[in-house]
Amino acid sequence: MKSREQEYKEIFIAEALEYFDSLNRHISELEKQPQDDRVLAEIFRLLHNLKANAKAIGYLQISDLSHKLETAFSLIRNRELQFSDEVVTVLFDGIDMLGDLISGIDNPTPVEPDPVLLRNLDIIVDNLSDSTIELAKVQRFTNSKNLSLSDLIYIQIKKLDHMLNLVGELIIDRDRIMSLSKELNNDDLKTVSSHLYRITEELQYSVMDARLVNIGTLFNKFPRIVRDIAFAEHKDINLELSGQDIQIDRNILQIITDSLLHLVRNAITHGIEKPEQRAKSNKPNAGLLILSAQNDRDNVVIKLKDDGKGIDLKQVRKTAVKKNLVSAELADGLPDSEVFSFLFEPGFSTAAEVTEYSGRGVGLDVVKNAIDSIGGRLHVDSELGQGTTFTLHLPTSIAVKGALLFEVDNIFYAIPLIHTEQVLALDKDELHEVGDVMVADLKGETVTVVYLNELLNADEATMKLGDKTRLKGQVQNIVVVSYNNRKLGLIVDKLYRQQDIVVKALSKPLDKIDLYGGVTLLGTGKVCLVLDVPAITRYFIQKR
Amino acid sequence: MAKNIKKAEAVEPAANTPEAVTETNTAPAQPAANDAPGKEEKVHLIVFKLGTEYYAIKIEQVKEVTVTPTITRMPRTPEFVQGVANIRGDIIAIVDLEKRFSIRPEPMTDSMQPNTTYTLVIEAKEYSIGVVVKEVPQSLNLPMSKIDRTPSFLQDTNIKDNYIEGIAKVDNRLIIVLDMLRILSSDEIKQLTGK
Repeated sequence: MKSREQEYKEIFIAEALEYFDSLNRHISELEKQPQDDRVLAEIFRLLHNLKANAKAIGYLQISDLSHKLETAFSLIRNRELQFSDEVVTVLFDGIDMLGDLISGIDNPTPVEPDPVLLRNLDIIVDNLSDSTIELAKVQRFTNSKNLSLSDLIYIQIKKLDHMLNLVGELIIDRDRIMSLSKELNNDDLKTVSSHLYRITEELQYSVMDARLVNIGTLFNKFPRIVRDIAFAEHKDINLELSGQDIQIDRNILQIITDSLLHLVRNAITHGIEKPEQRAKSNKPNAGLLILSAQNDRDNVVIKLKDDGKGIDLKQVRKTAVKKNLVSAELADGLPDSEVFSFLFEPGFSTAAEVTEYSGRGVGLDVVKNAIDSIGGRLHVDSELGQGTTFTLHLPTSIAVKGALLFEVDNIFYAIPLIHTEQVLALDKDELHEVGDVMVADLKGETVTVVYLNELLNADEATMKLGDKTRLKGQVQNIVVVSYNNRKLGLIVDKLYRQQDIVVKALSKPLDKIDLYGGVTLLGTGKVCLVLDVPAITRYFIQKR
Repeated sequence: MAKNIKKAEAVEPAANTPEAVTETNTAPAQPAANDAPGKEEKVHLIVFKLGTEYYAIKIEQVKEVTVTPTITRMPRTPEFVQGVANIRGDIIAIVDLEKRFSIRPEPMTDSMQPNTTYTLVIEAKEYSIGVVVKEVPQSLNLPMSKIDRTPSFLQDTNIKDNYIEGIAKVDNRLIIVLDMLRILSSDEIKQLTGK
């Protein structure tokens, strides 16, 4: 695979050549209608963008030349320079030169801008509409009239979605063929199917790769947004960005855009204190907001950290009791991590005031739902007085997920690995009946455990989630899942391997059943249900 | 047209009524009816049994008829949802209309094979759904006029009247013609939830 710099360079060249084509078109138009302000504005915009892009990637000659041309056009726009014959010639030459520089980026011997031309440009700019005595003749470049088409194409994301779906179907069929060829034990079939395996795998990664974008495309919008919110809130904020070059599926980035904006707004309006208050708590006047991205195995982790006042857990406990989410006695005993999870309940807000930017009733539950919908995880951590950190675990791609396969009551299930914490086997005696549930001690942490067969298959009227006698066998396989800062152990009948699966969304009318995130076909052709961890957790809490 | 014939062939042709074997389907009959008023418009039905009664669906609504594949049960879904099955790579929901309409199943007889059932794959606008029946569905062609669209008993039955297109009487058999698309788009199925 090509290095990322090479990819950036290619994108720059392709875009720059597009700008170059537009410039040529517009300047030819302008020659016919020198008074057309709209065309002038467009030329101005193109040159300005080209200058900025070239500067960002380090092609200073291109940005300098664009700058000179931009200056000339701004003079024309301000009617300080006539778009007259001599000037027109110089400008056309300048734009041709720009084209040569852009297409010369890849040449082994770099193209140098013609000094005569640069001088001519300086002359028309400096002398304004004065006489044109000193303009020298510019040597035309022989190769400047070659026609070429751009190396970059734009494609609707919809088309890539369709391709990805087809690849998913293909992978399912491939796995079926792989398993059939093992059964049939035919050498030719084995050779073909292993070749098919490699090709489909490469195809899958190519399509996934084509959908990746830099997180920077989203992150780089935040400096301005943060500045505006901070300004309105009379706060001083330093924003630090990192990991902009981490790549992620474009649709996933799209889905979390609003969530991230919401979290940033919250952090500034409710998290970071006003300068006066910060001074009192010995903090620097300017609040610090860190937005970072990094890769973690197959996932992308986005963190938003502020050094504000943090979340007051006492207040959260109080509000939770007031909203009848938990009884007063129970609230005090809850571990902090569980208390944080109340923040994501619908309509739960501890902020008393409504401002222009935050607290309009759209709560963290919306953020959580968005992240759930793409199979991600949201985690919050906060220390009173020190600040709050939101951590988003996101899958890199929507289509293929690592998952854990298991069986309950002769039905195959899968749980995406992003939701699994650990897998372990415990003796029945290590499970304890406490109230209506079973608990187990996992390395010093008490975790609620539920028998999945009971939760899924028992008659709802006689369901007993805390009854150990319903368990089969002595040793219990437990998949510990985590959702919304809360761990839950799921006892399964048989534990199978870990495997990459292609999750197919359930078609109507089953798509409304939220217990299942989708289905997948195993190599044997058997249907495997993909459990939705958020929904199963909710269902458990409801039945507890 | 050819597509429809092919669909019907998924069922053993021997099971078809003689009428169905000779006739093809309604599609050519419709323009003919317009051109020549003397010829009567015909309708092609797939007939199946629920409980002890005969029901039918217009063939246009049936994508294929197949021996029911392995069904994977989906816990915590309404009782009439039998589960999901893999039909040619598509995973579709399989429903039991006897349970859906509280129709008492026919008592088992020796001639019935309890292990083999058939699935009618119904094609709605955006999705497909499978309907399980116990006996081989049959193909039937009959003139439109044989279908009584406004039988008076409808107001007394628990099957909502707009699910029923009409009642046909053929060879002393009473056939209830269902409008599957109406049944599929009814609120109950739309609002399936995991509880």
